[in-house]
Amino acid sequence: MSTLAFFEWMQGTPLSAYFLETTWSSPIIQCIHLIALSAFAGAILIVDVRLLGRGLTNTPVAQLAREAEKWLLGAFAVLLSSGIPQVFATALKEYYSPYFWLKMQLILAGLVFTFTIRRKVALADEERMGKVWPKLVALVSIAIWTSAAIWARLIGLLS
Amino acid sequence: MTLRPIFEWMDALESSIALRESLNAYPAFLTAHVVSMCLFAGLIGYWDLRLLGLTLKKVPASSILPRILPWALTGFAVSVVTGLLLFYSQPMRYFSNFYFWFKSGMILLAGLNMFIFHITTEKSAARWEMDLKPPFGARLAGVVSLVLWAAIIATGRLIAYAGLAPVWWDNLGLR
Repeated sequence: MSTLAFFEWMQGTPLSAYFLETTWSSPIIQCIHLIALSAFAGAILIVDVRLLGRGLTNTPVAQLAREAEKWLLGAFAVLLSSGIPQVFATALKEYYSPYFWLKMQLILAGLVFTFTIRRKVALADEERMGKVWPKLVALVSIAIWTSAAIWARLIGLLS
Repeated sequence: MTLRPIFEWMDALESSIALRESLNAYPAFLTAHVVSMCLFAGLIGYWDLRLLGLTLKKVPASSILPRILPWALTGFAVSVVTGLLLFYSQPMRYFSNFYFWFKSGMILLAGLNMFIFHITTEKSAARWEMDLKPPFGARLAGVVSLVLWAAIIATGRLIAYAGLAPVWWDNLGLR
């Protein structure tokens, strides 16, 4: 099955029809998605700001990262479960939107980066890491997730 | 005197029309509004979780806010500026929009909640900030803030759905 055929199948499902035919389902799921996005951003930024050497400097990065991770995963679960129905609802619009594909690539890159390099740096001994690596990791993390949010907003505005 | 003449006057200003007719202004402002909202609401939400005793319990509460506030306020400032520019570009669209007024009212309430916390519970932070369960005042401020900011984000999104306003609002005939 080609990617296009898969998106055409999604567009034809009862779930897609439900979102297109009911008045409140799309706005409500969009609201949930945005609230979860803010929670996700908070859990990312509280650690990234600390990796930059600012913010909660009286707390070890590793402790902050461990505590933030459960909120990060929780928020991501809500983002995913509120995002997938929206893709079903407007599957063909998403398929033909370059911003959608950019967003998906950035999310994939963000997830891989967050749970490999960033996690390793955040949980490592701070003295051993020095000052440059944590800052670089924070800047890359902020850049990836900010770009994902920008492209996400542009799907609706420019597609 | 109603607000309508002021909104109509603003709507007819050349700079308002120029922003309204610009192809790039609306997407640029709206995108910056959402990204800065994430910076602000994300960090304030994290602070609210601390007030509820749900995270960073071993970190003194009074040491958290001054350290994250500069970042959160930067996000808030960009959100306010881009929000005002969005408003200025289409005053008459917002004048009749139920969710715009609802959102504006809740922003005022969120500010009031922060102010009340600042002049009451925060003053005694030294006594409770290491408690595993923060006092009722702190937990109340935290939950009110979380609910209000979530509702502000939701009503902000619903501004795009002007047609879904309550019937009594439509009966006011503001459009």
